[in-house]
Amino acid sequence: MQKLYWEDFQIGDRREYGGHTVTKEEIVRFAKEFDPQPFHLDEEAARQSHFGGLVASGWQSAGFFMRMLVDNALAGAQSMGSPGVEWLRWRKPVYVGDTLHVRQEIVDKRPSRNHDNMGHVKNRFEVLNQNGEVVMEMESYGMFLRRPADEREETAR
Amino acid sequence: MKHFEDIEIGDRMTFGSLDVTADDIKRFARDYDPQPFHMDEEAGKATHFGGLVASGWHTAAMTMKLLISDPENSVASLGSPGFDELRWRRPVRPGDRLHVTSECIEKTPSRSRPEMGVVRFQVNTYNQDDEVVMSFVSIAMIARREAA
Repeated sequence: MQKLYWEDFQIGDRREYGGHTVTKEEIVRFAKEFDPQPFHLDEEAARQSHFGGLVASGWQSAGFFMRMLVDNALAGAQSMGSPGVEWLRWRKPVYVGDTLHVRQEIVDKRPSRNHDNMGHVKNRFEVLNQNGEVVMEMESYGMFLRRPADEREETAR
Repeated sequence: MKHFEDIEIGDRMTFGSLDVTADDIKRFARDYDPQPFHMDEEAGKATHFGGLVASGWHTAAMTMKLLISDPENSVASLGSPGFDELRWRRPVRPGDRLHVTSECIEKTPSRSRPEMGVVRFQVNTYNQDDEVVMSFVSIAMIARREAA
């Protein structure tokens, strides 16, 4: 199947995907390398914290989100990275055993100013747990290749 | 350890450094961002990146590692609700050496929670040539030394 170009994304497009179940091992492994705070590292310390149990680093939750985005959306598109994130909020803790999924809506798109073969797509993302609670939400940009000029003409005909 | 009262607007702290390897880039990408330009040198060369580059979320995670691993610059953090205006300004490549600066740009006592305040920091991540590779405004809840 041909990968999606920038032209194939439409403002208002909505999708939902994911289903990643978070393990203790991955929380501790990420925390040891990047965010060694007691409530990300140690079950006993986490039980005594205000979280009441082991929770993922917020930056790891962003990673879980990214993996679901890549597997379900970007792998089928001409993805060229991202210039950034407008804002991101961690709304609720992500615990061991939580199953996460992503709700995506395209809210804006425009051609790239710096690369005439690329365009930007602005998305609103919500990451939800198995109870339907939003644990993280953000607005961010993706860059995608534009359809080559010769193919654009063919589509128009 | 710095509390809310100890931090003034304009205060700037420096953290790091951290060396980035191709193995680190690929290992993070396998778990969290398996796009070709984060996994494979040749695939990276075929894009505008011109080679293997770190996932932006990997750069963010490495920035967190630098911010948290300096005991002299530790703050009495009560967590973070999120961040604003994150920009990945330049690619991070194997062999890059990163450091981070954090500058207080705003501080507000919490109305609802007198034991803390909210501080906004402009966080910049630099490479060995002092080019900004990533920047964002972090929002931190920081404990007061004494409740207001």
